[in-house]
Amino acid sequence: MSRVKTILQQGKVKQAVIDKFRENAADIVGADNISSGEIDLLSTCRDYWPISSIWMLEGAVPALPQLVVWPNTTEEVSRILALANEKKIPVVPYGEGSGALGGAVPLQGGIMLDLKKMNRARKLDELNQLVTVECGMNGALYEEYLNQNGYTGGHFPQSLRCSTVGGWLACRAAGQFSTRYGKIEDIVVSLEAVLSDGTIFSGRSVPRAATGPRADLLMVGSEGVLGVITAADLRIWPLPEKRHFATYTFDNLADGLEAIRKFIRAGTRPAVVRLYDAQETGNHFPELGDKRPGLILLFEGAEPIITAEAGVVDQIVSGQGAVDAGPDFVEHWLETRFNVSAASRLLQKGAVLDTIEVTTNWHNAHSTYQAMQKAILSEEGTMMASGHWSHVYPEGAALYMTVVGFPGENKIGYYKSIWRAAMKACLDEGAAISHHHGIGLHRGAWMEEEHGRGLEVLKKVKAALDPNGIMNPGKLGLEEVQQWEK
Amino acid sequence: MGKVNMEELLNCALCPNICRCECPVLQVTGREAVAPAGKARLAAMLQKEQLDWDEEVLDAVSHCLSCRGCTIHCPFAELSLCDELINARLAAKAGGARLPQVEPYLANLKNYGSPYGQKNETAVCGEKGAEILYYAGCTSMANNPASIEAARSLFSKAGLSYQMIDEDCCGYPAEIWGDEELARRLAEENLRKMKESGASTMVTGCPECWLTFTGHYPEWGLELPLEIIDAPAYFLGLLKEGRLKPGRADMKKVSYHDPCIWARAAQKTAEPREIINKIPGLELHEASSSGEKTRCCGGGAMFQLSYPDTAAAIARRRLAELAEDAAIVTACPFCREGLLQENRQVLELVELLDRTC
Repeated sequence: MSRVKTILQQGKVKQAVIDKFRENAADIVGADNISSGEIDLLSTCRDYWPISSIWMLEGAVPALPQLVVWPNTTEEVSRILALANEKKIPVVPYGEGSGALGGAVPLQGGIMLDLKKMNRARKLDELNQLVTVECGMNGALYEEYLNQNGYTGGHFPQSLRCSTVGGWLACRAAGQFSTRYGKIEDIVVSLEAVLSDGTIFSGRSVPRAATGPRADLLMVGSEGVLGVITAADLRIWPLPEKRHFATYTFDNLADGLEAIRKFIRAGTRPAVVRLYDAQETGNHFPELGDKRPGLILLFEGAEPIITAEAGVVDQIVSGQGAVDAGPDFVEHWLETRFNVSAASRLLQKGAVLDTIEVTTNWHNAHSTYQAMQKAILSEEGTMMASGHWSHVYPEGAALYMTVVGFPGENKIGYYKSIWRAAMKACLDEGAAISHHHGIGLHRGAWMEEEHGRGLEVLKKVKAALDPNGIMNPGKLGLEEVQQWEK
Repeated sequence: MGKVNMEELLNCALCPNICRCECPVLQVTGREAVAPAGKARLAAMLQKEQLDWDEEVLDAVSHCLSCRGCTIHCPFAELSLCDELINARLAAKAGGARLPQVEPYLANLKNYGSPYGQKNETAVCGEKGAEILYYAGCTSMANNPASIEAARSLFSKAGLSYQMIDEDCCGYPAEIWGDEELARRLAEENLRKMKESGASTMVTGCPECWLTFTGHYPEWGLELPLEIIDAPAYFLGLLKEGRLKPGRADMKKVSYHDPCIWARAAQKTAEPREIINKIPGLELHEASSSGEKTRCCGGGAMFQLSYPDTAAAIARRRLAELAEDAAIVTACPFCREGLLQENRQVLELVELLDRTC
C-alpha cells in the first residue's frame, strides 16, 4: 500500500464500471495483459514532465489510472477502445513516457493503454524505401533494426532510447538530424490508427495524392486526443556513405544566425545544424570557452555531395566571420547527445529546470531569444537561461531555451512563472509556442493564443471523432483543466 | 551486504529511462514497473517509506537479471542499479514480503546447499590436496554434468592434477532472493571447504559464482584463501603454454554468446574468442550485439527458476541475434540452459574445447 498523494486527479470512473470493463477486456487481450495492481498504476501514471519529477521527490504523483491494458494487435486496440467508449471510460495511450509536458497524465483515471507490446517491424520494403512499423517499437531498437538491414530512419530525438515510434508521431517529434531527413511529419508516409469507437483506418503509402485532406495524417501531433496511432509506414534511407564534421565560432549570435540562413538559402542541407549561445557553447564544449557562440555541423550522405556541401557552407560561414574550430567537437556532441544526467542531479539539489522550445522565423530569431532570456532571467530564483537553435528551415529555425532556477520552497509557483514569462515573450515576438515537445497538459493554456479561431476547429474535429471525450482528456488545450492553470 | 545509495538510486529514478532499450525484462514484458528507472522509483519509495512491502512490490523489484544491460547507456558512473535492487530486496524479509515461487529453492539451499536439491555426491573427485580446485557451480552440477566432465577431461589432457570438493552454492541465489543470513552461511561453509582442500588456485566456469567470490565475498568481509581464476582465462593459458593442442572441430561455424557477467562485470570478452580462434578451421560468427554490448539470455539472477516464462522469452529474443546456421557457444551454465530452445545446438566453451583437444 502506498502513501503517495495525487495532485491533479480530476476524478475517477466508478469502480463497478472498471470491474465490469476488466472482465470484458480480459476476453480481448487476456487477463495477463490487464493490471489494476498498485505498482503498475504508480509506474504508468506520468511522463518526463519536470513537475512529475519534483512531485516524485515529494512523494506525490500527478494522477493515477485505474487499469493498465497491454494490447498486442491493432484489432485488440480497436475492441478495447470500442468497449471503453461504450462505458465512457477515459483512455490515455502510453508509449515510453518521455513526453516533457504531462501529456500522459491520466487526469480522470481510467485506462492507460500501454502500447509497448506492439513493437514489431511488419515489413521492410526496400524497393519503395519504406518500413511498416508498429507504434510501440522503441526508437533505438527501430534504428538498430534498420541499420542491420543497411538503412537509417533518419530520426534521432534526444529521447531516441526512451521513446517509441508511435510517441514520435503522436507528439509531432523532431530529430537531431532533421535538417537533412525532415521531422516526423516529413518521414511518415501513411499511418494506421484507431478511433474511440473502434474504427480502424489507414492511409495509402503513395508519395502523394491530391485526394483531399489526409485523414490518417490528421493523427500526427494529435497527442492521443483523437485516437490511437497503431502503426506507420515511414521513409528510410540507405546508411550514409560518409560523414563530415565541422565546428565554427562567431563574434556574436546574429552573425551565426545569418550564416545559417545564407547556407540554407544556398540549398545546402547539413543533417545537423546547432548554433549555441556562448553560455551553452562553454557548457557543452569547455575547450571552446564561453565567450563566443559555437556552431556544429554534421553532413552525411554520398561523399561527392557532402564534400561539395561542406565547401559551400565553409565559404558562406567564413564570409560571416566564422572561425574554424575543427571536427572534434562534433565527435564529442555525438558521444554526449543523449545524456540528460544533469537533470537528475540538479533536481536532487532543489533545482527547478525545464527546456522550452519554440519556433522562430529568421526575422525574429534573435529577438525572440533575447526576449525569452530576459523574461526568464527576470523571474526571481533563475540561475540560468541559455539557448540554441537547431532544426533549420529556409524560413527559420527552432529555438531551444534551457532554464535552471533555485526558487526555494515554491517550486511549482516558480515553474509556472517562468513559463508564463517565456510564453508571453515568445508570443509577443510572433514565434510559435512549441517546435517539437508538443502541448501535453502544461502548454495547453496557451493554445488559444497560438491558434486563435483554429482552436475552435480543432475542438470540432475532436468532438466529431471522439464524441464521448474519452481520448486523453484535458490535453492539447482542448479542454480547461482547472487543477492546472497557467 | 551493501547499503542503499539513495543519491544514485534517485539519479536513476529521475532519469527518463534512457537505458530502457537495453533492459531485457522490460523489452519482453512491456511493464513500466520493471523498467530500470521504474524499479529505481519503487526502491526509492520503499526507502522513503512511501510504499509498504508486499508481494507485488517485491515481484517488481525482483524483475532484474543483474545483466547490467542498463549500464551500456547509463550516464551515472557510480550507479549499479542491480546491486541497489539487491540491497532493496534484502529489506523485503523484514518488511514481511516473500516471493512464493522461490521458497522451495531457498529450502533446497538450506537443506542441500544447492537450489536444485540433492547434490550429486560423485562430484567429489580428482586428487585430494591438488593445487587446482575446480568449482563447477550448482547449475552445471544440476543441468549440465557434461561440462564438468569436459573440464575434468581438459585437466587430464593437460597433465594437471585437480580436485573437486563437496561444494556448496556460492550464496548468490540466497542473496538475490533476500536471505542474507543463508547467503553468508553458504559462503562461510564454502570458505571452510576451500581452506581444507589445500588448493592454491580455484578455477570456476560459472560467472555468477566467480563474481560472488571475487566481488561479493570481499564486500561481506570474507577473505578468500586461494586465487580465483575464470575458466576461459585458465584454459586459454593452457593453450598458450602448449599443454592443450586443439585439432579441427566437428563443426564449421559457431556463434559466441557473451555471458553478461563476463562481458560487463568482468570485461572478459577476449579470452573466449581467442580460444575459438585457436581451433583450426572454425569460423566465429559475432552476434549483432556482442562483447560488452551483449544481450542477456534470460538466465541471470536465477530467472530460470524464479520467472521461467520471462526467462524463456528473453532467451528467444537473444536467439534471434545468433546465427541460425551455427552452433552456439557460451561460457556460462545459465546461458547454455536458457539458449537451449528452438532445437539449437548449444555448447559450453569447455565442451567445445574438449571436443577438439
